[in-house]
Amino acid sequence: MEIEKSDEERELRVQERIVELAASEKLLRSKVMEIERSDKERELRVQERIVELAASEELLRSKVMELERSNEELQQFAYVCSHDLQEPLRVIANYTQLLSRRYKGQIDDKADTFIAFAVDASKRMQDLINDLLAYSRLQTIVRSFDSVNCMQVVEMALANLEILLTETGATVHYDSLPIVEGDQSQLLQLFQNLISNALKFRSKEAVVIDISARQDDGSWLFAVRDNGIGFDMQFEDRIFLIFQRLHTKEEYSGSGIGLAVCKKIVLRHGGRIWVESELGKGAIFFFTIPALISESQHG
Amino acid sequence: MDKTIKVLLVEDSIADATLIQEIFFDENIAVQLHVVRDGFEAMDFLQMKGQYTDSVRPDLVILDLNMPKKDGRELLYEMKNIPHLKSIPVIILTTSQAEEDIVRSYALNASCYLIKPIELSHFTKLVKFINDFWFTSVKYPSKDSQ
Repeated sequence: MEIEKSDEERELRVQERIVELAASEKLLRSKVMEIERSDKERELRVQERIVELAASEELLRSKVMELERSNEELQQFAYVCSHDLQEPLRVIANYTQLLSRRYKGQIDDKADTFIAFAVDASKRMQDLINDLLAYSRLQTIVRSFDSVNCMQVVEMALANLEILLTETGATVHYDSLPIVEGDQSQLLQLFQNLISNALKFRSKEAVVIDISARQDDGSWLFAVRDNGIGFDMQFEDRIFLIFQRLHTKEEYSGSGIGLAVCKKIVLRHGGRIWVESELGKGAIFFFTIPALISESQHG
Repeated sequence: MDKTIKVLLVEDSIADATLIQEIFFDENIAVQLHVVRDGFEAMDFLQMKGQYTDSVRPDLVILDLNMPKKDGRELLYEMKNIPHLKSIPVIILTTSQAEEDIVRSYALNASCYLIKPIELSHFTKLVKFINDFWFTSVKYPSKDSQ
C-alpha cells in the first residue's frame, strides 16, 4: 500500500517535472528566437549604419575635394589679381607722381592736395597688393621644412629692423630659443612681424620686448611680450584676420595683414597663435611650434 | 656724324614708353629713341623690313618681356641667334620679378636685367643709371666694324 502510494507520487512528480521542463523549454526557445530576432535586427541596423557611413564618408570626401578646389582657386585668384593689379597701378602711381613733380605749385593749392591724395592712395594700394601677394604666396609656395635655429632667426629679424629699432630706442631681450623644424624664411617673417608690431604699437615708455620659449606638452611655446599700448581683448580674434585693423590709417599705417600672415605661418607649422593683452598694458603674443621628435621624447 | 646713342625701346605699353621718354626729357638725356610695340615690329626694325626699311641699327635695345604677339623672351632668343644682331647689347626692363625670367634672360645673353620701379623717383634714378653707364660710359663698336 505504502509502496504503491509512493510510486504514484513519484509518477506525479515526474509528470509535473516534465510539464515544468516543457514550459521552460518553450520559454528558452522563445528567448532564443527573441535573441535571434534582435540579432537580426541589430545586424540589419549595422548594415544600415555601414551604408549610411559610407554615404556620409563619400559626402565628406566630395566636400573636402570641393573645398580644396575652391581654396586652390582662391589662392590662384589672389595671386593673379595681385600680379595683374600691379600693372595699371604702377602706371597710375608713376603718372600721379610725374604730375606732382612737374606741376606742384603751378596750378593752385587744391590741385596740389588732390594730386597728393592720388599719389598717397596709389602707394597704399601698392602696399596692400604686395602684402596680399606675400600672403597668398605663403600657401602657394610649398617648401620642405629644415632645422631652424630660432636664435639666428631672431637675430636676422632684428638686423632687418635695425633702423626702426634705433629710431625707437627699443631693447629686445631673447635667450635660449630652440631649434625647430620649419621654413626659415617664414619663421623669420613671423618673428619680424611680431617684433615690428610691438615697435609700431609702442606706448610713451621706452620699448622693451621679451622673446622667450619653453617646452610645453610636445611643443615649444613662444612668447613675444611688449610694453606697448595693448588693446581690448574683445578684439582678440579680429586682429588675426586679414585686412582688419583697430586703428585708422592716420593713427597707424599698415594694411592689417601682418598678424594674418603670422597666423598662417604658425598654422602651416602645425602650431597655434593667440594673444593676451589689456588696453594700455602691453600685449603678449603666444605661439606654439611642435618640438622635434627626439626632444619631445626626452622632455 | 651724330654721336647720339641710338636706342630701340621694345615696349607694348604706351604709358611706360612715354614715361621713359618724359624722364629722358626731364633729365636732359640725349638719346635717339625708337619705340616699337612688340617682338614682330622689333624684328622688322632690326632687319630693316616691312615699315622699317629705312631704320637704323641701334647701339642698344631696351626690351620688355611681357608683350603681345611675340614677347621679349622670343625676341631675345631670335636676336641672339642671328649673327649680325647678337652683338647688340640688350637690357631687359620689365615688371617680371620671376626668378625663371631672370635666369632665362641671362642664359639667353641679355646684358642686364632691370625691374621697372613703382616709385617715379626710383624709375628716374634707374634711367639716370642707364644713361650714365650704357649711354655715356660704354664704348660701342664703330659703324665700320659692324
